Amino acid sequence: MSWILPEGASLEFEGLAAPLRIIRGLGGGTQGQVYEVELEGERLALKWYLPACIARDGGLERRLVASIRATAPNEDFLWPIALLRASPASRPLIRIRQESFGYLMPLRPPAYVGACEHASGRLAIGLRQVLRACFGLADAFHALHLAGLCYKDVSLGNLFLEPGSGSILICDNDNVAVDGADHGAVLGTPGFMAPEVLLGQARPGADSDLFSLAVLLFRLLTRHDPLKGQMELAIRCLDEPARRRLCGEDPVFIFDPVDDRNRPDPIEHAAALITWPIYPRPLQALFEQTFCRGMKQPSRRALTGQWKQELARTLDRRTLCLACGQENFQASGAPALCWSCGAPLPEPITLLLAHGSVVAAPDNELHAHHFDALAGEDLRRPLARVVAHPQDPRRLGLRNLQAAAWSAETHDGRSQPVQPGESCSLAALARIQSPAGPIAVQRPTRPSPAT
Amino acid sequence: MPFPDVKLANRPLHFLYLCDCSGSMAASGKMQALNQAIRQSLPGMAAVARDNPEARVLVRAVRFADHAAWHIETPTPVDQLEWRDLQAGGITAMGEALKLVAAALQTPPMEVRALPPVLVLISDGQPTDDFAAGLEALLRVPWAQKAVRLAIALGHDADLEVLQRFIGIEPATAGRSPRRPLQASNATSLAQYIQWASTAVVGAASMPASRVSETPLEPAAGNIPLPDLPPTVLDPTDDVGPLVW
Repeated sequence: MSWILPEGASLEFEGLAAPLRIIRGLGGGTQGQVYEVELEGERLALKWYLPACIARDGGLERRLVASIRATAPNEDFLWPIALLRASPASRPLIRIRQESFGYLMPLRPPAYVGACEHASGRLAIGLRQVLRACFGLADAFHALHLAGLCYKDVSLGNLFLEPGSGSILICDNDNVAVDGADHGAVLGTPGFMAPEVLLGQARPGADSDLFSLAVLLFRLLTRHDPLKGQMELAIRCLDEPARRRLCGEDPVFIFDPVDDRNRPDPIEHAAALITWPIYPRPLQALFEQTFCRGMKQPSRRALTGQWKQELARTLDRRTLCLACGQENFQASGAPALCWSCGAPLPEPITLLLAHGSVVAAPDNELHAHHFDALAGEDLRRPLARVVAHPQDPRRLGLRNLQAAAWSAETHDGRSQPVQPGESCSLAALARIQSPAGPIAVQRPTRPSPAT
Repeated sequence: MPFPDVKLANRPLHFLYLCDCSGSMAASGKMQALNQAIRQSLPGMAAVARDNPEARVLVRAVRFADHAAWHIETPTPVDQLEWRDLQAGGITAMGEALKLVAAALQTPPMEVRALPPVLVLISDGQPTDDFAAGLEALLRVPWAQKAVRLAIALGHDADLEVLQRFIGIEPATAGRSPRRPLQASNATSLAQYIQWASTAVVGAASMPASRVSETPLEPAAGNIPLPDLPPTVLDPTDDVGPLVW
């Protein structure tokens, strides 16, 4: 890579009190190059644009200035911090003749890896973490859309995941604009673009974001593309005209309940066929809503709030198969079989809350939104976590993650305090009084098939 | 528990170098510069291949001098590729090289389903055999018609007209000048063009990048919109520019 900014040099920029040290180049593409930099002891990232990119996108500087002023919708965005132009003294050190600029943003911590690592199957990650990442994505776009903004270029390339926790970071926020106001240059990434944008009938905005978001969620959850089924297999050379037909002119969801022309191929598209049945019906229904009715009617697409709610509920339903240990997410009630090994799933202990219920399985968490109908779904600050007993993993407990003590009540009416950080065995309890609200423990009505 | 171990569906992307190894390539270190440029471009190409899980990038190379022959015959995943140096010597059997590639792009051995192949022709001179017959044989093959064809002219003696016929004559479209052979007048620009072809173009042919409104949505002549050429980055070590061949 030929770096435009000299690695190791300290450059002065207009508006920055201290010089910025260019530590190293991190990467580059057709838009510009990204560097790790240091400013007054703090490590940051700097994206420097190529003149061709600036020339093509007249609104770029205006959008960046507006985003910097507006600040990030939430902490999951690597949001622009400051717009930088070289000072006259540093100008000759920049190895490009034409005038250019860049912006500072937070540096991505090394634990976060590109989402394409997961999409290509190279990342060791669990289903719970993938679902949490999906929730984080829906939550970030919810905050962005509520702020009246749209992202315009949702794709795998702009998302990073921390596989251990499922935390996310969204980069390349330089196309963000007020929805409908700024006609930026970007149209989106083919494969993620809404059909009306691909066909040139609409400009990207919040409605097309909803389509692209659903594509990205589908790809994270299934490692497959929602439009690649039999109709893609019929294409010999997958070039631009073919992609246009497949994703714009005649797009058909591979699991469209009515139109079966584009079903997945059992061999070529095994990923979709294996993963789709893992997810509960209400979550599948949001994909059908977006990719069937919403395909041609942008206003019918599932909204960020609907995704948040259904993804959070899916995590609440998480249970572990006693036979193989795999995670299952089926709706409660009817007896179900493990998607992975086929063994019957036990009816689990369920925690009943004022606003929803959570299956007792290790690592499942209770949050403020489980107690308060007015609180939006938020997975950042758990109030309680289901834990397995260190000596006997089959015995489940609930750990108090709140700052105040709980009162745990047994069936015979006795009560015992549970201090912050302590766990109480669910087997013996009828209910727990917590500062957030009561937690009722519901035991299975039929015996577990494994005992 | 781990996410199900499912295989992502992907398609092969065949990338073929056609390298002029005629005697004139021995002059002024051109052969060494080409070997270096290709070798240096491989890590970047491997990174692009990693980032495009929908594509399986497979590299081959043909050398042509007195005759054309495979330099790398087996389609090789880019991360397993070791570039052996090409040697210069002989005349310029470019037409024969095109025939060799034409045969390789027939189905079979080509897969039934693939991404558009990328063909990169690099030459510093004029074909000494029947170029027209070779080109005709190549362009009869559907995969060659669909291919992204690029040409790099090395130095000032390259036959630009021949290279233009290889990439195809394309009328100027709104806002975009017609495609021309890339002219590398020194080792730095050669390395940049090779890097561009093996990264940006491979990326565009495998998994499409962000589109801007200037990109024609109605595909014109090319079936893959080509990314911007690399900007002219001033050589930090030498302000007068590297030596001209």
